[in-house]
Amino acid sequence: MTPMNPPSKNGRKVGAALVVGGGIGGMQAALDFAAAGIKVFLAESGPCIGGVMAQLDKTFPTNDCAMCTMAPRLVEISRHKDIDILTLADVEKIEGEPGDFKVTVKLRPRYVDEEKCTGCGACAIACPLGKLKAPKEGESSKKPKPIPDEYNQGLSTRPAVYIPYPQAIPNCAVVDAEHCLHMSTGKCKLCQKACKADAIVFDQKEERVVLEVGAVLVAPGYELFDPRLKPEYGYGIHKNVITSIEFERILSASGPFLGKVQRPSDKAEPKRIAFIQCVGSRDHERDYCSAVCCMYATKEALLAKEHLSEHLECEVFFMDLRAFSKGFDEYYQRAKKLGVKYTRCRPAAVEEVPETKNLRITYLTEDERKAVKEFDLVVLSVGLRPAPSAQTLAQTFGLKLNPHGFCATEAFAPMDTGKPGVFVAGAFTEPKDIPETVIQASGAVARILELLPEAKGTLIEEKQYPPETDVAGQEPRVGVFVCHCGTNIASVVDVPKVVEYAKRLPNVVHAENVVYACANDSQEKIKKTIVEKKLNRVVVSACTPRTHEPLFRNSLQEAGLNAYLFEMANIRDQCSWVHMHEPEQATIKAKDLVRMAVSKARLLEPLKKKHVPVHKDVLVVGGGLSGLTAARSLAGQGFTVHLVEKEAELGGASRLLRYLLEGGLDPQRHLDDLISEVRSRLNIHVHTGASIASIAGFIGNFTTKLKTASGEEEIRHGAVIVATGAQEHRPEEYLYGKNPGVLTQRELEERLAQGSCKAKTVVMIQCVGSRDEKRPYCSRLCCGMAVKNALKLKALDPAANVYVLYRDVRTYGFRESFYTEARQKGVVFIRYDEDRKPEVAESDGKLSVRFVEPIVRQEAVLEADLVVLSAATVPPLENKELAQHLKVPLDQNGFFLEAHMKLRPVDFATDGVFLCGMAHYPKTMEESIAQAGAAAARAASVLANETMELEATLSEVVDENCDGCAYCVEPCPYKAVTLLEYKASDGAIKKIVEVNESACKGCGVCQATCPKKGIVVRGFRLDQIAAQSEAVLQEQASPETPEPAQQPVGAGEGV
Amino acid sequence: MPEKIDPTLISEVRKYGHFDVDACYACGSCAAVCALSKDSALFPRKSMRHVQVGLREPLLASLDPWLCYYCGDCSKTCPRQTEPGESMMTLRRFLTAQYDWTGLSARMYQSPAWELGALAAVGAFMALLIALFHGPMVMDRVELNTFAPVMTVHFFDWAMAAVLSFFLLSNVARMIWNTMFRGGSAAPLQSYIEEAWSLAWNGATQIRFRECGKNTARWAKHFLLVTGYGLMFVMIVLFLPWFQTDAIHPIWHPQRWLGYYATAVLAVFTAEILWSRMKKEEQIHRYSDLSDWLFPILLLLTTLTGIAVHIFRYAGWPLATYYAYAVHLIVCVPMLVIEVPFGKWAHLTYRPLAAYFQAVRENAARRREQAPAGPQGAEAQPA
Repeated sequence: MTPMNPPSKNGRKVGAALVVGGGIGGMQAALDFAAAGIKVFLAESGPCIGGVMAQLDKTFPTNDCAMCTMAPRLVEISRHKDIDILTLADVEKIEGEPGDFKVTVKLRPRYVDEEKCTGCGACAIACPLGKLKAPKEGESSKKPKPIPDEYNQGLSTRPAVYIPYPQAIPNCAVVDAEHCLHMSTGKCKLCQKACKADAIVFDQKEERVVLEVGAVLVAPGYELFDPRLKPEYGYGIHKNVITSIEFERILSASGPFLGKVQRPSDKAEPKRIAFIQCVGSRDHERDYCSAVCCMYATKEALLAKEHLSEHLECEVFFMDLRAFSKGFDEYYQRAKKLGVKYTRCRPAAVEEVPETKNLRITYLTEDERKAVKEFDLVVLSVGLRPAPSAQTLAQTFGLKLNPHGFCATEAFAPMDTGKPGVFVAGAFTEPKDIPETVIQASGAVARILELLPEAKGTLIEEKQYPPETDVAGQEPRVGVFVCHCGTNIASVVDVPKVVEYAKRLPNVVHAENVVYACANDSQEKIKKTIVEKKLNRVVVSACTPRTHEPLFRNSLQEAGLNAYLFEMANIRDQCSWVHMHEPEQATIKAKDLVRMAVSKARLLEPLKKKHVPVHKDVLVVGGGLSGLTAARSLAGQGFTVHLVEKEAELGGASRLLRYLLEGGLDPQRHLDDLISEVRSRLNIHVHTGASIASIAGFIGNFTTKLKTASGEEEIRHGAVIVATGAQEHRPEEYLYGKNPGVLTQRELEERLAQGSCKAKTVVMIQCVGSRDEKRPYCSRLCCGMAVKNALKLKALDPAANVYVLYRDVRTYGFRESFYTEARQKGVVFIRYDEDRKPEVAESDGKLSVRFVEPIVRQEAVLEADLVVLSAATVPPLENKELAQHLKVPLDQNGFFLEAHMKLRPVDFATDGVFLCGMAHYPKTMEESIAQAGAAAARAASVLANETMELEATLSEVVDENCDGCAYCVEPCPYKAVTLLEYKASDGAIKKIVEVNESACKGCGVCQATCPKKGIVVRGFRLDQIAAQSEAVLQEQASPETPEPAQQPVGAGEGV
Repeated sequence: MPEKIDPTLISEVRKYGHFDVDACYACGSCAAVCALSKDSALFPRKSMRHVQVGLREPLLASLDPWLCYYCGDCSKTCPRQTEPGESMMTLRRFLTAQYDWTGLSARMYQSPAWELGALAAVGAFMALLIALFHGPMVMDRVELNTFAPVMTVHFFDWAMAAVLSFFLLSNVARMIWNTMFRGGSAAPLQSYIEEAWSLAWNGATQIRFRECGKNTARWAKHFLLVTGYGLMFVMIVLFLPWFQTDAIHPIWHPQRWLGYYATAVLAVFTAEILWSRMKKEEQIHRYSDLSDWLFPILLLLTTLTGIAVHIFRYAGWPLATYYAYAVHLIVCVPMLVIEVPFGKWAHLTYRPLAAYFQAVRENAARRREQAPAGPQGAEAQPA
């Protein structure tokens, strides 16, 4: 096969990629690369990865906790063997060619040895600069000023040595050399003394590394607009005027006020909060829409009401409410229902009332009155600006920036740059939200996988472990390791006492305390002890298994012990942290937790991970732009693709697109090129006029039956991509179909393309069939399409009169500048209210449109030659059937519902099935192409493996106990349990359930439902859990009282 | 009845000067920041919207452009830099032309050739009149009243005042018809009577100007200029025989110091207006239409030639005095003929009237609110 990217001259392809930027986009890309067999260098300019998302409290439109959804990813990246994180890293130089680059990266000193630092935080506590108080007003400030904490947007302070935030990865301190006393005076060094791990290295020097990579992904993100540039809003002058990101921190439980919503001036609870939209967006200097602010303001208003009270007044001052993506309009409607007030006016200024520090805003009400209102807090919805490093990165990599300063890309290759082998993703190319960023990141990964198909897996090493010791039938020999975590645990919990207590627990043959259980030396110690003391169960009593369990399991394996003979007691989060002021109680609880862990550990058994083979073919359902793009990408990556299209022709809804809003490129040409390439590829099998009769199987092993004109066909494949698209709704209102002068936008586009549109006056009506009771969602495309066609009409005849009747103009991102251009060319935009829709009438064949101009409040009428309806984009009805075949959900509007709206926008909850294009939601060609790439990359992460490793802690049917009652079948959220009927040897029909281990996640719902102990989760068997429960109920033996009685122990007991 | 949209309105308005509402997305910050706009007159957004959408009749019926004194706050605030303040200025020109039934105003605003040509024609006519009808030129001493007999000039004054008043008042009648009767519900006579004081008060003080923006110096300067202009108008139109004398009165004589005061403020403030327009430092002076220049230039020239007449008379230079007087009239008369009914001068009439009508409208609205609902309430309004 021929790779689409030019091969390097020497033909060398390096199986590694550099990702520049450790935000959510860079993180997604790193994980996708690693899953597909590409070694990753993740270079972040700051001290830790996570980006802006780490600062967010919750995310719209699901109100999921941002940190909770991203923390598992942070952890996964931090411990992934194929991802190297480089922090405080600046890319300096790139040489070589696509497939074989040499990139020079400068690493600024952290002054902390990452290998040694355990992230305990003792240094931060010791730093004297962390205890500085802000000088009071008027007080002379010769003393050193407290250092503003960047994570909390300067609303709190931090020491000069610090971990940016608790979940930061790398979980390692950093010295702020600019402020550090030792750096400026040569004295202090208190942190060095406090560090038990000896990790502070003041003489660390700047370093340079040269990375050999096949390709580069640049995803540096964005920065927020500095509202000081708009002094009329008083930011930096009035204390209670804050930015949206500051408010995000205020809302956050980990924020400066610990989640209490207070205003900065007097820490009082605000009763009235105003949100001002478009601060630094959509103005003369920045003619683009920042695309995320309408939704984040809505979210912040909702959360503030949740935090304080439903009576909290929240008023959002906006111009157009741009709720244009999946679930957004519904979210906006919900906010309105919950009492968030939306006022369509851009306030000119914010004035402070000097006595109360309240803020006064003058604005126009929706019913055209002038009002002055006082608020306790004003939140400025600041816009997105190009990343601070955009200029430098553009120079280093030879990228072009657009007039707004973002990276310039083309619609049909949204992640490509002018420089081959260098790709971009995220807000670097245009302001966008988290899912769009994640989609582009995965999409860029697909482009790079296309470039490096033969290099996959070349730099990935399999880890080798010594053979496992057989512990079957052995008496448990438990070793307990209790961690001090520096002072993190030991300052509250009496660790030596816990050790002494552990020593007396049944089957415990060894117990000791370690300063940092996770540090390298402790790991070695644990391994040595396992061998020396012939331990066959290990308990570590330290922090959370969420971050550290894999590390300890790895040590067990290295010592020749099965990884599942391990149990953890979290005495940090659950003892020293939450009972910080009750050390005795905390110690008692730590002993309880250790006792529970030991009780369970005694019953642990070795478990084996199963492997299932992966079929390397992929099924793509839908032959439109998205399906074609995904198919081409996967074929380019070396996989065999089956592309199924129900129509006789490929191309789908894009066949109707004749122009792009941005102008220039011809959509039909791109589509034709794409189709001919797909048709010519040997590893793409195109099935047109085909429908899906059935799909069976699971990730890695699907079997699909196709119905075609020539009969049935069976395909075996490892993954599925759903790209079934969407179509234009046929309106029933506004005389559509009754008068030939009433068209849809796509029909107008066709006429414009043929040059057969001779209308003098054209009236466009937006939201026809969208944003109503039947279809509460925004069709996203129509505003851009109306602007596009209006501009085309004006280009063909500058004297044409074009009117657009709209509800909100939702030209998000750079589309805004075309909205401006349309106004400048004389297109008249007139808003209408949902409850006063325009009326289209006909008399003597002449069309007229009646409407109310809402600003002058004047009823008016227009005689029109053409009335153009911006009809909704609707999902095909066949989605329902396909969803059933695939066991995946649809949303209430009939679009496919992804696994997670923010972080898994192309995945389904069902593994091995992916989603792209308008099957997900209405979107532009550019967005569909990005998501098609993303689906291809996600599918590649499945197909790249020869076998799929399954988690060992899965459900297992106990044949002798299961009577086939099937209670467990329905509750299983992963559809992993099925009921079987079979003929027993005595001829009777018997029933039993069966678990599909590829689908099972080990959640335990089945075990909880089963009345017969007929289904269990390995590693969490009822007897194991019972042992833990019994242990917690046991009276704790005081050192004076005799030991708890030895309990009978037997492996496999209770099964 | 729904209003018919007129797509040609915006291009027509553009002929009267700067009108850049193209980038406007009707965000409302202009009307929010404006110190003078209020519920009953939410300009400049509404006026801009009338033009943008093509609502000709509602625009003609609106008083809003006259209620704006152009402090420039809206233009400074506009996030799209669409210059609403300057657009209001253009609308005042447009409305002046709409009120004028002769069509001369429209022609002169739209064409510099027409405007300058008309001024030159009237000036030439004036020169001809003087050449033909001036009195004997006494050369051994200055006898202005022999060269230009004061009663002849006074009669000419009155005749010109009558003609110009006819044109101006007929235009005012059209303004009243457009704004107070056509389309909307007429205000009761009671309202006109109750609010009559505001006409005199606003005309005399331009007090609304004082509330416009933060810079009250603009109002003070304008107020002083108006006092000078008004004083000169009274002295010339009503008391010319007392004002134009050959005898030189002592300095404490009111003719002297009143004349000096009026001359001084006219000279200083017209010069100041022209100077700021040239500097373009302030937002409000970024754009200048020909008509913005002509009125102050002519006023300044009139004042300067008037000063020249006075100086030459003092110096005892007869010929210079007569020529200066002739030039004084050749500048002054065209200025008045063209600017009073058809040009910028007309704002002296339209602004206080608009403020008055606005007060009448608000008065009528209050009455409507207070009137008991039902047919009686509606009938209570006189036609």
